[in-house]
Amino acid sequence: MSSTSRTHAVDISAIERSTEDLDLSSETIALKVNQLKLFYGQKEALHGIDMNIPKKRVTAFIGPSGCGKSTLLRCFNRMNDLVDGCRIEGQILLDDANIYAKGTDVADLRRRVGMVFQKPNPFPKSIYENVAYGLRIQGINKKRILDETVEWALRSAALWDEVKDRLNESALGMSGGQQQRLVIARTVAVKPEVLLLDEPASALDPLSTLKIEELIHELKNDFTIVIVTHNMQQAARVSDYTAFMYMGDLIEFGTTNQLFTNPGSKQTEDYITGRYG
Amino acid sequence: MQISFKEWTRKGNPWIWLNAAAVSVSLIAVLGLMLLIMARGLVHFWPHSLIQADYVLEGKEPVPVIGEVAQHEDIPTEQLKAAGYPVKADEDFMTRILLKTGNRDVLGSDFRWVLEGSLKNVRYPETLITLERREWGNYYGYQVAYKNNGTVVANAQESGDKTWELLIAGIARADALNAQIEEIEKGEIGKVNYELERLRLTEKRLQLEGKATDSALAELEAERQLLHKDYERLQAQLGELYTEIGRDTVVMRAMNGQETEISVSKIVRAFQPNKMGLIEKIGHYGMKLGEFVGDDPREANTEGGVFPAIYGTVLMVLIMSIMVTPLGVIAAVYLREYANQGALTQTIRIAVNNLAGVPAIVYGVFGLGFFVYFLGGNIDRLFYPEALPSPTFGTGGLMWASITLAILTLPVVIVATEEGLARIPRSIREGSLALGATKAETLWRVVLPMASPAMMTGMILAIARAAGEVAPLMLVGVVKLAPSLPLDGNYPFLHLDQKFMHLGFHIYDVGFQSPNVEAARPLVYATSLLLVLVIALLNPGRSGDS
Repeated sequence: MSSTSRTHAVDISAIERSTEDLDLSSETIALKVNQLKLFYGQKEALHGIDMNIPKKRVTAFIGPSGCGKSTLLRCFNRMNDLVDGCRIEGQILLDDANIYAKGTDVADLRRRVGMVFQKPNPFPKSIYENVAYGLRIQGINKKRILDETVEWALRSAALWDEVKDRLNESALGMSGGQQQRLVIARTVAVKPEVLLLDEPASALDPLSTLKIEELIHELKNDFTIVIVTHNMQQAARVSDYTAFMYMGDLIEFGTTNQLFTNPGSKQTEDYITGRYG
Repeated sequence: MQISFKEWTRKGNPWIWLNAAAVSVSLIAVLGLMLLIMARGLVHFWPHSLIQADYVLEGKEPVPVIGEVAQHEDIPTEQLKAAGYPVKADEDFMTRILLKTGNRDVLGSDFRWVLEGSLKNVRYPETLITLERREWGNYYGYQVAYKNNGTVVANAQESGDKTWELLIAGIARADALNAQIEEIEKGEIGKVNYELERLRLTEKRLQLEGKATDSALAELEAERQLLHKDYERLQAQLGELYTEIGRDTVVMRAMNGQETEISVSKIVRAFQPNKMGLIEKIGHYGMKLGEFVGDDPREANTEGGVFPAIYGTVLMVLIMSIMVTPLGVIAAVYLREYANQGALTQTIRIAVNNLAGVPAIVYGVFGLGFFVYFLGGNIDRLFYPEALPSPTFGTGGLMWASITLAILTLPVVIVATEEGLARIPRSIREGSLALGATKAETLWRVVLPMASPAMMTGMILAIARAAGEVAPLMLVGVVKLAPSLPLDGNYPFLHLDQKFMHLGFHIYDVGFQSPNVEAARPLVYATSLLLVLVIALLNPGRSGDS
């Protein structure tokens, strides 16, 4: 997907909404969102979102600041539970089970749906202990299993070669890009089904960003990835499907190719062209 | 280059100067304080030279004086005249000297002011002796003779140095005997008394519970007989030791020529300060310092060591921190992590902060009223009825003092821990939660370890405050002189109900309550220095706060 192919805008008025046209029949669905509404106190932040997130694909959420894309992402592992006064209506189905159903083990849900945040947030522990953290939480303390998993996770995050000689040093001594890959490794180590990335490269330099993007390409073979990004080019480069959100509504959801070359709605068109030129 | 005043202020230079000045003043204040108490306190243990002179005041007979120079002072001549001294007013000021003349039993007081100009024929005779005694303070004078069972074995005029050597040997012998006596009195007889008391209480409890059958009483009586036999045996041993130790006496002559016979067993040490070389003096200094830190006090605390006070302070502070740290940390964790951050929590927080500002004596009164009288009284009625009417926990003691101070320092720990918890970024917690950790696991594995420096800070502040507090302790368990240490070899080893000594109270007592304030003053400084050192040593790693 190259940005140079779109230097002039298409005739917007001629385009119809294309959301309904998205055909996901060839994909397995990982997450199903049904009429999801989210309230902060009295304020409604998401107005009934419906969408299906395909398995082992990269789905990108784009949209202007405050459109609700991060909020939606944080619904998938119930991170919003931590916000005081946050209330949710509707359903999100993971393996046909509603994650907002009563009696859901939230800790287990978060193990299955991992999350990487905007700013790298390694624990003030050694590199090894950072990656092993999720396993230790699950009660896995056998050194052999931990060693194997840590190496595998660090390799998956393309970090092994850089840190294999200093696994016992503090993670806080790493560069920002390394820290973010370490956080990805830490998340991958617990082998989640879904990986949520909340603007994972926004605090990083271009080279580190490139590495993260390459990593996403690698990881989608094993994980369902949902990424929130402000960077249009990044969404175009890394994702298979893209959702455009605006003011708490899902405006358009389609294959990345289609959404960027032939957006179905005027708002999408305005947004991507406004940031493209 | 000329800089205008406006330019100078605009760059903020005045502020830098002001800040630097404030730091300097603080530093000077702290260093000055430390230097003062060090200088005043540490010099106390140095063997001072003994001065002998004739004190000649016009129109009066010359008086011979012997003593240590304790202090110099300039005083207006007018004032001396007004006080009736026959002085000539050719100078505005005259120097007077505070002479520690000792010999309280002979002269009636330890100190005496003399005018420096009126001291004639000043000399430092090498044969002058300082005797440190168990009672009556120091004795300064010449040795006349050494007696054995009342008969003179050596005479200073005839045998010279031999009498001195006999005295030194005699003191060493008496010391060894004294150690044996103490071992028997405090150790073995102490144990017998403790057992007897236990038997008495057991018997009384049996009577109270109506289980005092003849066989049970006979059993107790048999045990008691055994103990009595032990006691008599020990008493006989003691009697022998006491006759042994009273064998030797030394005859001394004071500055006014009066001769006194002093039992060698009453002498702690004897030395000839004017004869000692530097090395000997340093050795003597080390010995005195060791005595100060490691020995029991003598003579209403004005002499000897402060070991029981150090022991009591450290033990009390340790028990206090064991109680306050977990409680404070748990309370802070609830307030910060689990409680709804509403108006109620905010009110509680403000209340906790205000608790830190309540005067210490108020805690003392609370401790006395609630812990000692109410809790302690009830504990006594329920668990120690046999000992009544003499209270067990119904009087001040180590436990109530520790708990009172724990409550006093609780706000400090809570506030410090809460601040530490608040400083931990939300992103770190979310990172842990997103990996499938529960809130409790996140707390244990990430948040609390990260907040531990803040908890340490809280604990350090608590310890510093508790170790230095005196006022509340006077109400809940500190005494001038405790008969035994609160941790010893008698079951149950740690006696939480016992009264104890405390360095802070010791300073107050020695400095202001003792019969001989002047003589004890250097000891006040030395004890203050020790208190500062103890607090510094009790603080576990100041570098932890980063």
